[in-house]
Amino acid sequence: MRTCDDLRNHLRPVVESSLSLLAGFLAGGIIIWAAGFNPILFYEALIAGAFGDIYSTLNTLSYSTPLILTALSFAIAARASLFNIGAEGQMYFGVLAAVSIGAFIALPSVMHQLCIITLAILLGGLWGAVAGWLRVSRGVNEVVSTIMMNFLALYLVNYLATYVFYDPLQAYKTKSILPSAELPLMVPGTDLSLAFLLSIATAMALYILLWRTPLGYEIRAVGLNPSAARYGGIDVKRTMITSMFLSGATAALAGAFEVMGRFYYTDTGLSIVRNMGFDGIAVSLVGRNHPIGIILSSIFFAMLKTGIQAVQRSTSVGGRTGVPLELGLVVQGIIIIFISIPEMLDLIRRLRGRREV
Amino acid sequence: MSEPIIRMEGIKKIYPDGTVALRGVTFEVLPGEIHGLLGENGAGKTTLMSILYGIVPLTSGRIFIKGRQVRVTSPNDAMRLGIGMVHQHFMLVPVFTALDNIILGAEPRKKGFLIDRKEAERRVMELMERVALKVDLDAPVETLPVGVRQRIEILKMLYREADILILDEPTAVLTPIEVEELFSFLRRIREEGKTVIFITHKLKEVKAITDRVTVLRKGLVVGVRRTRDVSMEELATMMIGRKLTGVEKSEEVSPREDYLRIKDLWVRNDRGGYAVKGVSFSVRSGEIFGIAGVEGNGQSELVEAICGLRPPEKGDVYIRSKRVIGLNPMELYALGLGHIPEDRHKWGIILEFSLKENAILGVHRSKRFVSRYGMLDEPRIREWTESIIKNFTVEAPGSDFPAKSLSGGNQQKLIVGRELSKEPSVVIASQPTRGLDVAATEYIRKILIRMRNKGKAVLLVSADLDEVLSLSDRVAVMYEGEFMGLVHPSEINRERIGLMMGGLRLEAIS
Repeated sequence: MRTCDDLRNHLRPVVESSLSLLAGFLAGGIIIWAAGFNPILFYEALIAGAFGDIYSTLNTLSYSTPLILTALSFAIAARASLFNIGAEGQMYFGVLAAVSIGAFIALPSVMHQLCIITLAILLGGLWGAVAGWLRVSRGVNEVVSTIMMNFLALYLVNYLATYVFYDPLQAYKTKSILPSAELPLMVPGTDLSLAFLLSIATAMALYILLWRTPLGYEIRAVGLNPSAARYGGIDVKRTMITSMFLSGATAALAGAFEVMGRFYYTDTGLSIVRNMGFDGIAVSLVGRNHPIGIILSSIFFAMLKTGIQAVQRSTSVGGRTGVPLELGLVVQGIIIIFISIPEMLDLIRRLRGRREV
Repeated sequence: MSEPIIRMEGIKKIYPDGTVALRGVTFEVLPGEIHGLLGENGAGKTTLMSILYGIVPLTSGRIFIKGRQVRVTSPNDAMRLGIGMVHQHFMLVPVFTALDNIILGAEPRKKGFLIDRKEAERRVMELMERVALKVDLDAPVETLPVGVRQRIEILKMLYREADILILDEPTAVLTPIEVEELFSFLRRIREEGKTVIFITHKLKEVKAITDRVTVLRKGLVVGVRRTRDVSMEELATMMIGRKLTGVEKSEEVSPREDYLRIKDLWVRNDRGGYAVKGVSFSVRSGEIFGIAGVEGNGQSELVEAICGLRPPEKGDVYIRSKRVIGLNPMELYALGLGHIPEDRHKWGIILEFSLKENAILGVHRSKRFVSRYGMLDEPRIREWTESIIKNFTVEAPGSDFPAKSLSGGNQQKLIVGRELSKEPSVVIASQPTRGLDVAATEYIRKILIRMRNKGKAVLLVSADLDEVLSLSDRVAVMYEGEFMGLVHPSEINRERIGLMMGGLRLEAIS
């Protein structure tokens, strides 16, 4: 439903987010300044570090890839007014799908990747759907259930990685996946693999699903007004479970792609993807739970990450800013808090107003 | 003419979102009179009184009570000035007894901090004696009917020694008999020298009870009259700014087959008790079947059960001879049901959705709106929405705007338009004109009659007795989940209906 009024409706969040972004940068700058450094130089180094040349730009995009997916995961549940904190655990199942099929089953390329993706979607989706089912049938709050299920997922996948899929030669990690299961790099010499394009495609697909199909219509209706949804003949419970399935499946893609396109294995502690699921919550809030917003905010989060690393490097070689990494991380945190504020307020308002189903 | 007890001068109210509710209103009430405040919904009546009661801050203007300029910034201020207000939605604690509610916030104390219940009871009894208004003080409020709750609210105000009483649409929840009782009570306290401000949009009530009346329209005072000097027609014209054409009921359409048949239906309410106790009736094509009754007597549950929103405990529902128990709403719509729900914000509309999205609620999976690849068919949905906007005169900035940008009346028109555009054979209209202004009410009623004349079966549930009697071909009166009787409106007077609304069976009163 894309017309002039859509533009107006979308302008408000854009303006709000831009203002809070500006405020975040100002607040961060004040802290840098108070600590005795030059904020302008700091921000300059940060942006140069993230986008200064082709290589760093592509790496920033590559960092944004898993965030796009975990954020989409949060968003699609949030559209049904479900607060899925479980992307973290659902993502681990994607890792599991990738290392199991990728390393232990020989298949021709393309087929191999498709098998991994299918299994990731199934495992992550079902893991999410369980929380959805608990919510609608037993009234278990999904925030609580998904947090608890994150631990289950962590230890289950950990166990399998350590005792079943481990690499006999290097026991700290699983066996690496076969070349036929890898997602090829888009630009050799960078970290940017096909996973980035696939993530963008997923965002587009979810956008179309939410705003162009009857299922998306139903998910949004359930999220905004469950009574009216019921009046409209929508099966509210089934729709909630479906949206949790989609949410879990999307999170699992993040885990699978990190293995297939970047690391090709996982360490047994899953540190290669740790916290990406939680980061997705913040990314989604900043992106206003909207696929397009999420792509932009993922790139922004990735920029902070690569930028601050670059600032750190520049100090270590006696660079210009002298800002230590810890202070950089504080500034990163402050900026994130500031830009999360508008959507956070909206979300709290919605959760307060939501009627139990 | 005596000095006004209340004078509100040049009152303006602009809400933070820019809505102008009052554009400079001057309002005077004389001591010891019953003063009507008449206007359509949205005219600013409640806002004006909420300012006087300190709930809503004013943008500009001055308030004088008993000749002295005052600032009222909270209900406590108002109470100290002797002003008490009974809201449309009662502000009682459901689990407290009537006595507890009456004394809440003004409890007599003993030894400094204990509530002196004996003293409280003595004072309240004395008060009830004096104003001849009785309630059972020991009953928890949640067990009492709305009429009694209203009395408790009034007693609460009088207990705080209010001598100016503001009543916001007090008759909306009462049976005709209770209305009569309320009116005679108001006359009694007028004798005692109390002043009453009576907010209403019902002309009959203004004529029946008030001494003077102030008419508001769109945030402005359009006139102040002595009630006995003004006719109802004049008041109506002042209130809506034009003459009312009234709803003309067309010639008898001879009813044909039963389109909707209900057989021994039992439905539980949310608390597990029976809200509908074995109701049977049928609605024929070409008739409006009305259900009258005080709200909360099982009408909502009955409608929800028929419309697939609440599974009945037992009994049958047939639409055009097909048994439809257990079907979900979407299947019912496909079988020819149209449902105009009683609470449009809860059921009928999704405020954040665009008009287009709202226009397909319930038919969003029908072939008509889903294209080959499983996508929603944008052009068709737009066309459909625009035809609803045009055919049902929905005043809307465009079909892409969110439903919340429409006024209440236009939201209702959108819902009515959507439901009737589904080409239903059975139309269930539950409180279809509640909260609407006079013009929109008139429009919706005309549409219902047009549906009847087109041969549809219309089930009309309304707490507005005049509405039910003027539109329906047959009327059932519902009380505590049962039908007290089935009558033709032309053959029965209001008093008899009133008795039935109060729980007497038709056989018992004829």
